[in-house]
Amino acid sequence: MLNDAKPLIMHIDLNSCFATVEQQARPMLRGRPVAIVNRRTEHTMIVTASYEAKAMGVKLGMSLKDAKKICPELVGLESDPAKYKFVYHQLMRIMNDYSAHVRMKSIDEGVIDFSEATAAVQARDLSKVGEEIKQRLRDEVGVAMRCNVGIATNRFLAKTAAGLNKPDGLDVITHHNLREVFSWLELTDLTGIAGRMEHRLNSVGIFTPLEFLDASEAVLRGQVYKSIDGTAWYKRLRGFEVDKRDFPLRSSGRQYVLEEYKMPPEKVVKRLHHLCEEVGWKVRSQGMVARGVRVHARSYKHEGSGWRGGYWQSRHMASVPFSSNMAIYEIARQLLDKAPYPLKEIGVTCYELSEPDDHQLLLFGDDLVREQAITGVIDSVNTRYGRRVMHSADTLGTEDSVKEKIPFGSTRYM
Amino acid sequence: MNDEIFLNEAIEVVAVFRPGRTMCEPVKFRRANGREVVIREIGLRHPTTQGNRMVHMFDVSDGEADYRLEFDAERLTWRLCMEGDRYEMA
Repeated sequence: MLNDAKPLIMHIDLNSCFATVEQQARPMLRGRPVAIVNRRTEHTMIVTASYEAKAMGVKLGMSLKDAKKICPELVGLESDPAKYKFVYHQLMRIMNDYSAHVRMKSIDEGVIDFSEATAAVQARDLSKVGEEIKQRLRDEVGVAMRCNVGIATNRFLAKTAAGLNKPDGLDVITHHNLREVFSWLELTDLTGIAGRMEHRLNSVGIFTPLEFLDASEAVLRGQVYKSIDGTAWYKRLRGFEVDKRDFPLRSSGRQYVLEEYKMPPEKVVKRLHHLCEEVGWKVRSQGMVARGVRVHARSYKHEGSGWRGGYWQSRHMASVPFSSNMAIYEIARQLLDKAPYPLKEIGVTCYELSEPDDHQLLLFGDDLVREQAITGVIDSVNTRYGRRVMHSADTLGTEDSVKEKIPFGSTRYM
Repeated sequence: MNDEIFLNEAIEVVAVFRPGRTMCEPVKFRRANGREVVIREIGLRHPTTQGNRMVHMFDVSDGEADYRLEFDAERLTWRLCMEGDRYEMA
């Protein structure tokens, strides 16, 4: 049985967000193939591309050098997070005008839940609301701004609807047209289904979204997912809401691709320190403390040791929760000492996050309390006068290389 | 890479302050060499901070090139920060 309720979930997705924002800002780039990169070098990876570039075969993750071989007119621009954050806040403001129940899923997409709105709002034709939001985006941010709108009875189908006609589409999925829509799609077009899950579905004879929809709850729960996730998928596909929940913050991290080949360890450690300061700020900005630090790295092949290069990680769980930059750095530094140099990327993550327990902190003496007070003062100065106005002397000069980057997932810190 | 020229040039600006998309609309500016640029379109205005100073970035175009103007709201000064490629019209 399909959910035959009125569709009241709206998913809004900015098309090729960063490239579109740059084309809005730079009229001379409109209609041209544009790619956004994190660093102004030929070997850097493309973060996003305009529709004109995508039409020429430019893909996310391609190096700029390779992209220019297939699209010589490609214009590469360094990312400008301040600009994208501004547009994100404008989109959120517009969405909040229609409902208090707005959840931004990332910097370029969000969901409006009209199911808890007033009766007067619910009575409106949401397609018209969607068109209104599109027009407001053009009027209030700029004429080149386009977004996709999807409307359905749950978040999953609303996102599916938003992906049907890019760019600048508006689509509604209801129980009337659900089967027709699924007949157009591949399994991997569904959010949450990638290569590995596709193989699992294939192994039980499910090759299309329609077959996925027609599979029984018993098969999904017993054979495919072997858990309650199977029941969740059975309901999700039919338009029933199973994804309306908040996810508590469990970890916070930052990674960085080193800007030099075979960077000497003393320079790597300075960049590690910078990352620890950023992660510390992120954890504290959410009012949390951590118990664990994980350091990861990607390394080049190491001649002589037999190390073939690749991914490495090490972690440590402390007995006392912490959140100061110094505490994070002291642990991270010791962990990084075991990394297989030469390195190409480093990352730091704090995990086992929880709310601070001041009573527990007091048990461990004045040093911790003093450290917490100093950290608070530094955070106050940086909040008032600007990011990294006060920082460790060891990280002096690293801000030229370890720049602010676009948050691709959660927008908690925006 | 895109041939952007990054500058830090003091400019003189004529702007209109009125309700609208950007609230402040630079109309034209004069560069240090005396050349006057008439702005045909304001692409985007976004605020950012430099320390505790609020700075407004205006991405504008005269129809032949893109420019980025920076307005320091504390010092009330304008600077030209970037000139984008001059593309030949198709």
